[in-house]
Amino acid sequence: MSDSNRRDFLKFGAALPVAMNAIAARASERPPTDPPKRIMFICNSLGFYEPNFFPAERGNLASSKYLKDVATNDKMTVFQNLFHPGMETSNHDSEKSFLTGAAKPESPNFVNTISVDQVLARHMGGDTRFPFLSFSIYDRGWGCSWNDRGVAIPPMHDESSIFEKLFGKEDLAAKRRQLKTDQQIIRSLHRDMERLRENGDASRMDSYATVVGELEASFRREQFWLETKKPRVPNTLSDDQEFVFSTKIRNLLELAKLAFQTDSTRVITLSLDWIYGAIKVPGATGGWHTLSHHGGKSDVLEKLYRVEIDIMKHLNQFLSGLDGIQEGTGTLLDHTTVVIGSNFGDSSNHTCNNLPTIIAGGGHHHQKHSVLDKPMPLCNLWLELLHKHDIDVGRFGSSQMDQHLLPN
Amino acid sequence: MSAYRSCQTIRSTSFAACVFTCLSTLSYLNVLAAAEVKESKQLFREYCIDCHEGSHSEGNLDLSALQTKNSFDALLIFENIATGKMPPAGADSPSDGERRKMLSWLAGQQPEPKRNSFRRISRHEFVHSVNDLLGTKLNLSDQIPEDRGTYDFDSDRRIQLSREVLGSYFTVADTMLDSAFPPKGFANEQTWVTNKLKDSNEAYKILLRDYEEGVLFSWTRANNGNSYSFFYDNFDPPVAGWYDLTFEAAKVGEFEEDISIQVHAGKYYYADDRPQPQRLLDVISLGNRELKTYTIRVFLKPGENVSVHCYSKHNWRQKSPKQGAYIRQLRARGPVLDQWPPSRYGKLFGDLPIKTSGNPKGEQGTDRSNAQSLAHASGYQSNVQRIGGSISVSSFQPGMEKEKMQDGSSRTFWHTRFEPTLAKPPHFVIIENPRAVEIAGLSYSTWSGGNGNGQIKKYSILVSDDGQIWSEPIISGELEVQLANEQSILFPNLQTNRYIKFLITDAKTLDGRSLASIGKLDVVVSTNREVARTEVAVDSDSPDALTHVVKRFAQRAFSTQLTEAELTPYIELAQKSLHEHGEFVRAAKLGFKAVICSPRFLMAPGEHSGSAHSQAASLARTLWLSVPDSELLSAAADSSSSELTKALLRSQIHRMLVDKQSDRMIKSFCDQWLNLRSWNKVSPSLKLYPKYDDLLHHYLPLETQSYLAYLIRENMPVGHLIDSDYTFLNQRLAQHYGIDGVIGQHLRKVSFGSEVPRGGLLTMGSVLKVTTDGFDTSPILRGAWVSKNIVGTPISPPPETVKAIEPEHGVAAKTLREQIEQHKNNATCYACHKNIDPYGFALENFDSTGQWRVKYRVEKPHRGTFQFRLEGYFLKGGAVDSSGEISDRRFDDAFGLKKLLLSDQRRVGYNFAKKFFEYANGYAPDLPQRLALLAMIAEKPDKCRMKDIVTNVLVYSLSEKSHE
Repeated sequence: MSDSNRRDFLKFGAALPVAMNAIAARASERPPTDPPKRIMFICNSLGFYEPNFFPAERGNLASSKYLKDVATNDKMTVFQNLFHPGMETSNHDSEKSFLTGAAKPESPNFVNTISVDQVLARHMGGDTRFPFLSFSIYDRGWGCSWNDRGVAIPPMHDESSIFEKLFGKEDLAAKRRQLKTDQQIIRSLHRDMERLRENGDASRMDSYATVVGELEASFRREQFWLETKKPRVPNTLSDDQEFVFSTKIRNLLELAKLAFQTDSTRVITLSLDWIYGAIKVPGATGGWHTLSHHGGKSDVLEKLYRVEIDIMKHLNQFLSGLDGIQEGTGTLLDHTTVVIGSNFGDSSNHTCNNLPTIIAGGGHHHQKHSVLDKPMPLCNLWLELLHKHDIDVGRFGSSQMDQHLLPN
Repeated sequence: MSAYRSCQTIRSTSFAACVFTCLSTLSYLNVLAAAEVKESKQLFREYCIDCHEGSHSEGNLDLSALQTKNSFDALLIFENIATGKMPPAGADSPSDGERRKMLSWLAGQQPEPKRNSFRRISRHEFVHSVNDLLGTKLNLSDQIPEDRGTYDFDSDRRIQLSREVLGSYFTVADTMLDSAFPPKGFANEQTWVTNKLKDSNEAYKILLRDYEEGVLFSWTRANNGNSYSFFYDNFDPPVAGWYDLTFEAAKVGEFEEDISIQVHAGKYYYADDRPQPQRLLDVISLGNRELKTYTIRVFLKPGENVSVHCYSKHNWRQKSPKQGAYIRQLRARGPVLDQWPPSRYGKLFGDLPIKTSGNPKGEQGTDRSNAQSLAHASGYQSNVQRIGGSISVSSFQPGMEKEKMQDGSSRTFWHTRFEPTLAKPPHFVIIENPRAVEIAGLSYSTWSGGNGNGQIKKYSILVSDDGQIWSEPIISGELEVQLANEQSILFPNLQTNRYIKFLITDAKTLDGRSLASIGKLDVVVSTNREVARTEVAVDSDSPDALTHVVKRFAQRAFSTQLTEAELTPYIELAQKSLHEHGEFVRAAKLGFKAVICSPRFLMAPGEHSGSAHSQAASLARTLWLSVPDSELLSAAADSSSSELTKALLRSQIHRMLVDKQSDRMIKSFCDQWLNLRSWNKVSPSLKLYPKYDDLLHHYLPLETQSYLAYLIRENMPVGHLIDSDYTFLNQRLAQHYGIDGVIGQHLRKVSFGSEVPRGGLLTMGSVLKVTTDGFDTSPILRGAWVSKNIVGTPISPPPETVKAIEPEHGVAAKTLREQIEQHKNNATCYACHKNIDPYGFALENFDSTGQWRVKYRVEKPHRGTFQFRLEGYFLKGGAVDSSGEISDRRFDDAFGLKKLLLSDQRRVGYNFAKKFFEYANGYAPDLPQRLALLAMIAEKPDKCRMKDIVTNVLVYSLSEKSHE
């Protein structure tokens, strides 16, 4: 059975035993030196202060306040001059389009398109317990992941529930019973919908039927994975309540690392945003959003630096963490493409050009600092990442073409 | 332009004076005669085109399109004409009749709006509805992802159901059904009596003392400013459920005000300065000097403990206090049931016979098994002792024996031997588990208060059946040093081995010697604690009875009448289960779950047998966030015509508004309309606003909810949204606002003189706080809030290439206005910001917590680590200038702004009507609907009333729907 067929089986839930055999066969086939590819997208949705982020001296990461201490800087490329056409200036809604490239996210009738992480999840998600994971700092129901209907995928935000979901113990018998009855329920609902469709509002039934169909597929997937024990890992989440914001970021990144390490998923997306009240990081307390509108004032910039350098510290630790885990002939980082970026170029002025973008790891041929001659759609890079993960599509979002920004 | 002239101009062109009344006779369905069309176009030519034509149009709006094209976005033009914003002051203005013609013509021009004919119900509607159907009171909304995105209203029809949300509905449905009908029966009620507190930090422990038969508490906050609570020992809720907590307490002190006992639930922390993760359950207001009992009913979960924080400004940090709250004891009883068997059995299963294995409710007046009299309430028992286990250690220093790990305190500790000789590693602790109890892990605390020598850094866990041959480590890890609260070590699997070894592989040492010490060590027993339960079953195997039960439930949930044939899929599902398992309740639950996960239930408006039922469902959803009650359903069933009459709708709406269930609508509407849903996201700076506390945080939004509920239920004039001489206060809120004579923490209506800057929404602490980031106030954010939510001016995002300016207080405070007033220097900015910033300026006399100020506070640095103090860390900065002007009318401060807004109270009423329409219908009204809303707003201020608007909007929406 070909790879894509197998994935379809998993995705659409048909003929599970066959799929299971295929997986078992595949697992024994795969030589231990052939680790899977993973990818992670991190959106720092209030941007980075450009003069601190981009290297002052072309090609020299040591000339960037934020990047000079990144331990893995020989395995990364910082891109300058990427943007999303159609949202050169936008408000915070621009985060919706970070991974989709859909224009005018601030318009009242905006309908989003599928995000790049979800395209990847559809192709890379078949082999793992979770096709993808999507995280955010707090419960707000949307982030960077959008499904094929342009509907937001609510990110998970509670560290201990995520840990539980990934690694927690389950009452398998109860779970099996539960999945069985839920499937019975869905069958009954389908019967009812057939009847309603005949004499009612078809669009409403279609809308529900699509979603319940997806839910059924996820139940089948869960059922399939009940046969495999969840990995057990020590709970390494921090309990530090002093710097709640920092702890949250640290823990979500830690969970991402554990999820990759245990091959629980291969696609993870993380939205870092907090446009509300004050946060406390080592050396500063203040409203992150207020600080991001720094207006160039030095004392505000000093506080903003504290916030952003704290985020960079966690990102640095995350990258080093991945790089410290041996896998095959390389490290976990070598098999994980980590995208760190933002929907804002200059959040003080709410502009979306020159988006700060880092690609790290993934075994790509990195160039440390790549300044593009002229502004280029970020979707070119997304398209390239799709290609690098063997997804054969001609375009994505506002892409023009694969520019081979990360030469092999 | 002189002030005199601008006033004149405004008066003459004031807020579309007559538009509202004149429109009432106008039906938006009117087809305008050709002559009228011509006339309307002529009016636009006359009053608008001069400025709005060609490439240099004002505001980039070229109205020549109106004359030629058939489609354009008329919304902005409509709103500006309707609210009298356009034509601008000083320009020729149409008469009211002419305005009406222009609006009607515009309304007729708007193309049919595209919107979904349905929406998914919100997570709040789901949880409330299911609670009402099952007779539960579970607060589970936060178990379902927020799906509103960036839309204002939960009901927005653009929100689509996602797989993740539907999946959580399935999960939450199970939680709720299992709570209503627990598969293993109801946990037996127990009673606990305690006056013993769990151990807490020495720095805080001195702030209470033994007093008579209990404890006298003074008030403190932790050094980092977090609310500091003391936890009660000897009460661990065995299952999730409702508990009655009865405090026997009295006020000790000669001051007038009440002391508040804030009762929290949370995970016990040994509580150094870290925040105690807990939630406020309720507040007891203590005014009596004689002992009295206070009972609150609260929902508790296993793993939570009850803690108290006793606040009054008179007993701040008194060592060995003389004044404060005296709590003699806490008596906890639960989980409580309303009756036995719970009333929901009768409601859902009718007369079917019920079979039970006993009665879980405690006998009246006597306590069951766990009840302990006060005398026995002390004495700590560790889990190791509870499971009949014991511990042994590799070595010990006399005075620091192994028992010190097991006494519940982390100030006493076990230490390996260092005198006279140093014990050699390995250091370890062995726990014996003779009864093979399932052990999930260990809980560990460092010893606190010392130099940290011997604190454990790394460990391994080994197990053995004989104490001789040990396994490989089942888990190894690191512990944080200097963390006084508990850290847990969870085993990969439940362990039932007889011996567990906690092997210390690395420990902190100050002098290079190999040492180890532990403050507390205990086992974590598997959470499946055995709880005595009483079973209930419906003693029936009748398929007919099951059909009847499922049908009745479905009719309520779907709020319609259905035949059994129509319900076949649900009934057969339940029947199949009854046939397979023979358990009536289990089968019914399956049917219930299918019903509440059905598109009929989740996709509003649902499927109804007639419009009367559809109207009933819609009313219940809007006003109660739930399903109709039996009265509403029977009104629908009785309706001989297909629709409920307007009179009947009105009387039902009025009945439903009086009902307590409409509090949900009030809260939900405040959350959405006024953005109070962001309430918890902002914590004011402790340096600038040290007096802001949990109690204030709890009551501020309640003031707003009580006020809005009063305005609607008592049909007060719309102007009271802007100003009144009363609000709803309790002691804490009154202190915050500087209003004397309010004693006790129950909210009540309080009137005040005109010198008090309160009354109306704008000057409420809730609103003033939710428009800041907790540090600085932002006139722009506040201005935008007023503009959008109260005045109803549409705001467009800043155009491209415009640099943002955000205010910054502090050293540069005196230039705050200058910064924002840069908007004035830039025509592009000023076009919009002249309608935004001034509202914010007017509110500058209110700080981020809503307190009145005349000078800004400027943060002052503190030395070393931050130490909370009541006087905060700030200096007085520059004086506040709260003057401004809107539409050429000047005001000096918030008082002036309120007057100005009141002079246009119909505009406020119109905006409120639009917001309520959007809340109820899930989309913003289109132009014909706006014409109808305008017609509802009476001209005379005292005729323009809140309940009338709410009622009219609902009646209009419901009848309009049936025309669709």
